[in-house]
Amino acid sequence: MGDNKQATSFDAIVIGSGMSGGWAAKEFCEKGLKTLVLERGRDVVHLKDYPTTNMMPWEFKHRGEIPYEIQKENPVVSRCYAFREDAAHFFVKDTEHPYVENKPFDWIRGYQVGGKSIMWARQTQRWSDFDFEGPARDGFAVDWPIRYKDLAPWYSYVEKFAGISGNKDGLPNLPDGEFLPPLELSCVENYFKEIVEKNYKGRNVIYARCAHLTAPQPVHLEQGRGQCQNRNLCQRGCPFGGYYNSNSTTIPWAQRTGNMTLRPFSVVHSIIYDDEKGKAVGAHVIDSKTKESIEYYAPVIFVNAGAINTNLVLLNSISKCFPNGLGNENGLLGKYFAFHNYRARISAQYDGFKDSTTEGGRPTSAYIPRFRNLHKQETDFLRGYACTFGSGRRPIRNMDGSGESLKKNLISKPELGAWGVGSQMMGETIPKETNHVSLDANQKDEWGIPLIKLSVDYDDNDEKMIKDFFEQYTEMFTKAGFTDIKPSDSKQAPGLDIHEMGGVRMGNDPTTSLLNKWNQLHNCKNVFVTDGACMTSTSTQNPSLTYMAMTARAADYAISQLKKGEL
Amino acid sequence: MDRRLSIKTLFIISAGAALLPSCSQNDAKSSLSLKNIRIDGKEETLLAAISKTIIPKTSTPGAGDVSAHLFALMMVDDCYPPDAQDKFLKGMNEFEDFSKKKLNKSFVKSTSAEREELLQSIEDKKEIPGNVASFYNSMRRLTLQAYTTSEYYLTQVQGYKLVPGKFQGCVPVKWQAKYG
Repeated sequence: MGDNKQATSFDAIVIGSGMSGGWAAKEFCEKGLKTLVLERGRDVVHLKDYPTTNMMPWEFKHRGEIPYEIQKENPVVSRCYAFREDAAHFFVKDTEHPYVENKPFDWIRGYQVGGKSIMWARQTQRWSDFDFEGPARDGFAVDWPIRYKDLAPWYSYVEKFAGISGNKDGLPNLPDGEFLPPLELSCVENYFKEIVEKNYKGRNVIYARCAHLTAPQPVHLEQGRGQCQNRNLCQRGCPFGGYYNSNSTTIPWAQRTGNMTLRPFSVVHSIIYDDEKGKAVGAHVIDSKTKESIEYYAPVIFVNAGAINTNLVLLNSISKCFPNGLGNENGLLGKYFAFHNYRARISAQYDGFKDSTTEGGRPTSAYIPRFRNLHKQETDFLRGYACTFGSGRRPIRNMDGSGESLKKNLISKPELGAWGVGSQMMGETIPKETNHVSLDANQKDEWGIPLIKLSVDYDDNDEKMIKDFFEQYTEMFTKAGFTDIKPSDSKQAPGLDIHEMGGVRMGNDPTTSLLNKWNQLHNCKNVFVTDGACMTSTSTQNPSLTYMAMTARAADYAISQLKKGEL
Repeated sequence: MDRRLSIKTLFIISAGAALLPSCSQNDAKSSLSLKNIRIDGKEETLLAAISKTIIPKTSTPGAGDVSAHLFALMMVDDCYPPDAQDKFLKGMNEFEDFSKKKLNKSFVKSTSAEREELLQSIEDKKEIPGNVASFYNSMRRLTLQAYTTSEYYLTQVQGYKLVPGKFQGCVPVKWQAKYG
């Protein structure tokens, strides 16, 4: 630092420009705050920086496959389903940013403006009080300091702006939202819905809500986005702006106010805490290219670096007051880390509806909300799981042999195979003190920041849940007359779910949690954490929508506190 | 990496290779610049002949029209692990020996009927050396991949649509693109 120090002041600093950081940027800029958005990666401008978006399948040199050398050097990211030739440029390679695995953890990252919101799976289900009341009812983690009613208006607020396609299903365990029209379910999905809802009280098959513009509203057109064209190539970035990402929505919206300073290539080393003032005063940034140290100042700081990196920034923010990381008086920073259990799938076939098929692409599936242990504890494991349910038919061609007979089979009209159906489990994992992230004592990255060390694992509860999923879904599939039922356990490491959460959990009690009900650090009120790191428990829903809603809510609170001079 | 450029280059190179008289290819280098494996012009001609026998040109384009053998080579070079590359090359050499043993001549100098017969004998798994079978299976798989993901096949046969525009959950079955 020292000689190269440049002081620049803003009204707010947002660390990260992804799913939640984009929302913080939008809210602050819209309300007139001069906002610095720090992004450690490069800029990705909507449309301009989607190099593969309009490429035809035959234009990819390896037809989508990642070359052997790249896979060998980058085994972790190569295990991610979306790390393919068309979107590989949006993923961090293992070799570029090493981390320490005390236990196997597949950390999937996107270091760029927009972060992982470019490649996300776009599933947007609301949480309910069955989720927020879970820890208190079942005696794990700590009680959430908020309930559904605190977040409901903010869910509505972000849903309207982002554009969420859904069906009003009237389920207590999956509250309805502000929905654009749903896409259709297939005949088999509708049939399965009938079977399940007839045979099981409290089990439902619905259309999975997703962040797609099925009928753009004026606000979406104003964003410059258009209707989803069912390409199903979302991970490349969408030329129509048909799905929500920061790049097409919140970031340009913030930019248009003239209040945003977006600084790519800015690695946040730490948050600067002033021991005398008793609050944070800014962020210590290292330019990732020049390695220059720079300090930026603002009265409020939002940390949206992505769950693990948010933990890293706070752990590395050392001061006289906080020698173990910012706000970390109770020693719990980095602990009670959790994720979603994505190991289990089940597939089958259905011989009915032979005369029907689907047409076009659908960027979502059907969805079966959690039914286990919902109203009361009923199994030998805590909590439960939600599942996708999908179906479709593929052409079958005889590809045997060679010569003219093979050729004839290749170019003639194919038969359609039977309907293939399948479900993937998304299990709630229980945050535990032993599942934690910490700073490595010796190794540092090329910017002098300690490497993060991940010690996260499954437990007995997860194993029991997988067993139950296999049993229940085998039974449900059997009742539906599905055949060739195949359960499978990928045994994948935590992380590949890309739903890492916790470490800076919310709670009412400063002795057992890091953040209060407004996402402020209990012990440093002008620092807010509203990304996955803030999560007290994990629920069974894809978490991004909840991060967005929490961010908008916390930003609104921060602005009101700033106006009152309380921060 | 500019993928469009490299694809274009691939086709220009393949067009160039087609212009060379076949007799001068024995000592010629491969028309592709490969990073990991070494292939000479003669071997490249062999691979082209195999892929053209697997999917021949009829009234419609065949494997040769989409330069399937060059795609296959590039995939072996870029996407196969070293042991699989070795196995592929070994099998390729043994394939030529196998051809000479069975047909008393080189595969490329055989008639198309003889070529088909040889491939059929591998398909039928009759006393086939292991490396030959695995080489042929790789070559067959890659030729099929090249052909069924080519512009010709996806547009003319499959009716591929980059922008479907809509999704319908339940429509009567008719011949339609399903890879879209």
